[in-house]
This record gives sequence, C-alpha cells and structure tokens, in this order.
Amino acid sequence: MSDGSPRRRFGLPPPEVLFAFAALGLVLLFGSLFNANGVFFQPAVHADALWQIAGFGILACGLTIVILAGGIDLSVGSVVALSGVIFTIASIREELPPVVSFGLAIAAGTGCGFLNGVMVAHLRLQPFIATLAMMAFARGLAKSSLLSGGVKIQRMPPPSEIEILNAKLDLAGLHVSLGTCIFLACFLATFVALRHFRFGRHVYAIGDNAQAAWLSGVPVKRTVVWAYTACGLLAGIAGVLFAGLERQGNPDGGAGYELTAIAMVVVGGTSLSGGRGGVTLTLLGALTIGYVRKILDLNGIATPAQHMITGGIIVVAVLVPKLLSRGLLHRDPGRP
Amino acid sequence: MAIRIPSLLVLATLAFACMPGCEKAAPPTSGTPAPVTPTPATTTFTIGYSQCNRGEPWREQMDKDIERNAAKEPSIKLLMKDAQNDALAQQGHVKEYISQKIDLLIISPKDSSLTQTVAEAYDAGIPVIVLDRAVEGDKYTCFIGADNRVIGKAVGEWVVQRLAGKGAIVELKGLGSSIPAADRSEPFREVVLKAGHAIVYEADMEWLGDKAREKMQAALALHREKNSIQLVYGANDPAAIAAYYAAKDAGREGEILFVGVDALPHEGIEAVKNGLLAATFEYPNGTDVAIATAMRILKGETVEKKIVLGTRLFTKDNLPSGGEAVK
Repeated sequence: MSDGSPRRRFGLPPPEVLFAFAALGLVLLFGSLFNANGVFFQPAVHADALWQIAGFGILACGLTIVILAGGIDLSVGSVVALSGVIFTIASIREELPPVVSFGLAIAAGTGCGFLNGVMVAHLRLQPFIATLAMMAFARGLAKSSLLSGGVKIQRMPPPSEIEILNAKLDLAGLHVSLGTCIFLACFLATFVALRHFRFGRHVYAIGDNAQAAWLSGVPVKRTVVWAYTACGLLAGIAGVLFAGLERQGNPDGGAGYELTAIAMVVVGGTSLSGGRGGVTLTLLGALTIGYVRKILDLNGIATPAQHMITGGIIVVAVLVPKLLSRGLLHRDPGRP
Repeated sequence: MAIRIPSLLVLATLAFACMPGCEKAAPPTSGTPAPVTPTPATTTFTIGYSQCNRGEPWREQMDKDIERNAAKEPSIKLLMKDAQNDALAQQGHVKEYISQKIDLLIISPKDSSLTQTVAEAYDAGIPVIVLDRAVEGDKYTCFIGADNRVIGKAVGEWVVQRLAGKGAIVELKGLGSSIPAADRSEPFREVVLKAGHAIVYEADMEWLGDKAREKMQAALALHREKNSIQLVYGANDPAAIAAYYAAKDAGREGEILFVGVDALPHEGIEAVKNGLLAATFEYPNGTDVAIATAMRILKGETVEKKIVLGTRLFTKDNLPSGGEAVK
C-alpha cells in the first residue's frame, strides 16, 4: 500500500497512511452522523462528491510529484483556466475535432509545466518564484485577446465533447461520471510513475536531499523538469475536466484552486519539505477535503464557517500525526 | 486555432510581444485642442471615459456599449482608458484628461478614493458624469447608477406572479460581504416570503458559477423528491446557469424554473434564448443614459444630480422585442 517512506522497515502500512485513512474515516463518520436525514447515504451524493473532487484531485496528484521533489507549483490554478479556455475555444469556437481540442489543451498545460521545470532546474529560480511568475503569465494568456479576450467561452447547449465529460458510467449501480474515471486513471498513472519507475526513486531522492542525490548520480535537472512537466500535464487535464463540469471556458476560473490542491496534498500527509509522502496519501487527502465540503454543504453550513472549518481541519490533520508519531513511535528524532 | 497555436512557445512569445498593445490605447489627440466653449452643429466634443476595470465581463460589455452609444453621436469623440482595477492608475488617468482639457468626463470609479480627483476635474470646469459606483460629496455633475434593491424586488414580484400556489425556492446568494448581494437578496425574500413561498435552501455562492453548482447539487440531494423545488434564484446569471446544469445532471431541469440577474448578451440573454433560464433581469450599465446626459450637458442644459436606472425583464417571449421595462 505504501508509496511513502523508502525507509520503511515493517510490513505494516506506514503510520502516515494509517493517519490519512483515520482522517478520512473520521470525516465520513461525521457525514454519517450529520447525514441530513439520510441524504448522505444516497449513492448519487457520492457520485457528485467524487466528480467535484476529481479536478482538484488531479491537480493534487501533479502537485504531489513536485512537492515530493522538494518544489511547489503555484501556477496550476491559472493553468486550469488556460487549458479550459483553449479547450473550449478549440471545441466551441473553432469546432475542431475533439481529439485536437483535448490535445491542444493538454499540450498547453504540459508546456507551462515544462517551462516551470526549466526555470527551476536550469535557470535556478526558486520554485515559489518561478511558478508564481507562471501563475501570472498563464492567467494573462488565458484572458488575453489572443485567446478569450477576457470573456467566458460557452455555447448553449454545449457541444458533445463537453457533455461527454459529464456522462455517467454505470459501474455496478453507482453512476460514476467519466471525469471521476479520468481522475482515477491519473491517480494510478502517478502511483505507477512514482512507485515502479526510476523516475519515482529519483523524485524522492531529490526531495530528501538534492545534493546527496546529485552526488550519487541522480540526474537532478532532468528529473525536476519531468516532475514539473508532469504536474503541468495533469493541470491541463484538470482544466479540461473543469471546463466540462462548468460547460464553459472561464478565463477567470481556477483562481485559488492551487491552494485547495496543496491542502489536499498536505492533509494527506505528504511533507511540504519534500522527500516524504506519496500519491496514495494525496488520494486520501483529496477525499477528506472534498467530503468535508460536501458534508458541510448538505448540512447547510454557511460559507464563511466552511472556510474556517476547512482551515481548522488542515491544522489538525497535519498536527495530530506529527505529535503522535513523535510521541508514540519515536520517528525522526533528528527533525525539528 | 490550429494555426494560431503551433506551439505554446510561439504563443508565449506572441503574448509577450503584444502585451503593450493589449492595453486600451487612447486615440491620439489630433493636434488642435478641443474648443472650450461649445458651439452648435459642427463642433466635436471630446469626452474622456475612465473605466476602473475592463477585466470584469460586465464592465467589458459596458465599454463596448459606451463605444457603440458614442458612435451614434457624430459630434462626440470618445477617449477611453482602463485602470485595470488600480485606483491610483485611475487617478492618473483623470489627471491626464484634465490636462488634455477634455469637454466632459465620464468615470466609473473603482471606489470613493477617486472623490478628490473627480472634484479636481469638476473644479477645473469639466462636467463629470459618475457611472455605477458613487463618489463622496457633491463635486460632480450627475451620478447614474442602477439599484440592486429595485432588481431584487422586481425578481420577487415576477416569481410570485409566475409560481402558482406555494412554491419551494432555492436561493443562491452573492458573496456574503458584498452590498449588492444583500441588496439583491433582501427585497426578493421579503416579497416571496410574504406571498407564502418557502425558501428551502439558501447558500452563498460567492458570485461564482462553480460554487453555485456545488450548492445546487446539495439542494437537489436534500430535496430529492420530484417537484420538491419549483424555482432557483441565482443572484447572478452564471450562478443560475450553473444551477441549471446541476439540475440537468440530476435529470431534473424540466421541473424547475431558473432566474438570474445581469442579462449580459452572451450569458444571461443567451441562456434565456436557449431555454436554460426562465428569466433574467438586467443590471443596466447606464452607458446609453450617460451619453444622452452628456449631450444634454454639452448643449448647456441642466441635468438631475442623480439618475437611478430601472431594470428590464427578459423572457423567451419578450426577447425578440428587446425585453420589457419593469416599473
């Protein structure tokens, strides 16, 4: 199960996976207790919740790779807008074939990620600064007169390639949307890349100690470029999904999504300082954050209170495992 | 598209190259300064227009409308500047207009921090029309703006007239801290609750379509029996449209009426035309009134200090005739 610490000594799942499960379990328990007269037990509610989580979850998968490699990507929210705008311009305004529309949107995301990687690895900009610059640039590009000109791209009724993302697949009675399936595919791809490819080992090694990784022959620059490129690719896919969900390309969309996605990574238990964590944790973190929102919505909790509760949950979800693992399991005595 | 985006790099280079050109450049003033004293017929009047933020779709439309309305008056030469949501930049724009000795200033200020600068223009003898957002004091010629409370009430009255019997209503409200959100909500609630309708779910969608969809999904889950929701009021059109799509995904769009506010041509109006929204109420930008008022001022007439704009109701039936003014 663990794709977490490479220093794992026992056959049991490492504690961070157990903590992430516990957090999700607690949230679902709350959902069952405050079930809004049984509404929480309807399968449709969970299908909706998963579809809502899907786009953010894909962003979080990409961010997991970058964060594990000791970086951060603040540009994914803007890349969502850019990719969504390109996808809808291609499909709605230019009426290009769906494959081309998807391809252009995802290529745009990948390109942004690649540039991020080059700025971090080769120009030696701090990840925060490089991706902050990309955040501004991609937003500007999405809104520029070259692309949307600042207006939402939509058609009523929407073209079929947008509707198809909302199509429901009947999986053993649970009507799961295609978008949710794409999220699961992205998760599996990230999982395999991190767990079963040399790339994954390199990512962990760089995040743990870039100097040591370099000395032991890890191609640091190439791996970092790949990590950001993968993150951009996933953000491009997420942008298409959000455009499908909203039936429009919104040049102002995606604002702040990077923070939700980072919260999902952190709540899962991946360390922001790099080298420790994994995408399984992120999946659990994404479900935790996503279900908190759903449960609060079902119970009619006002939006300001929702923000406060989410903030509280982030702190608790990060602090409790830290205290417990320090106190009970005596892990990492050397770390501050 | 395919030609325009051979690769992202090319696109990126292009974007960099055109960045200075993307700003709304004012047309060059043609040598001779505009005459200070208006004389009839052949005179051209230079009107300086200062927009606080073209980046918002509603204001983008406002700019297009003022250009269109100004073009109808052959004697008007319209200069345009966009402050890109920066109050200091907007102050600078007004000062440039003052030194250019324009004949009249139309300003949609970012906020009341423009009060002093607007007063400077007014004191310099330039008539000032303040659009949509107010400034403090009385050193301006005329304020023109819409009233969200009028719109909220108009929506409520339309809903009461439209819903037979007692209806269950979902209200998707604008950002909790914003005054327009309260103004579009309170009079609406007063009218519909008095008529015996119930608001069965209400939520703050922060003016955002994506938030509105999530809230609407929750509303649909909580009221899952058929016909347990009759109407959704979205405080702006994107929310109402997002709610429609949420209902469509649940297969329930046919049993619910969706009402929005703003009536932008490519959004609310389009949604009414395509049957997504039952109605949308215009939040007018007042550019037509502003240009007409400007002409009156320039001809030497005295105008009202404050003009409150009404709203127009758009439904599928009255769309071809350009909507219907609400009294």
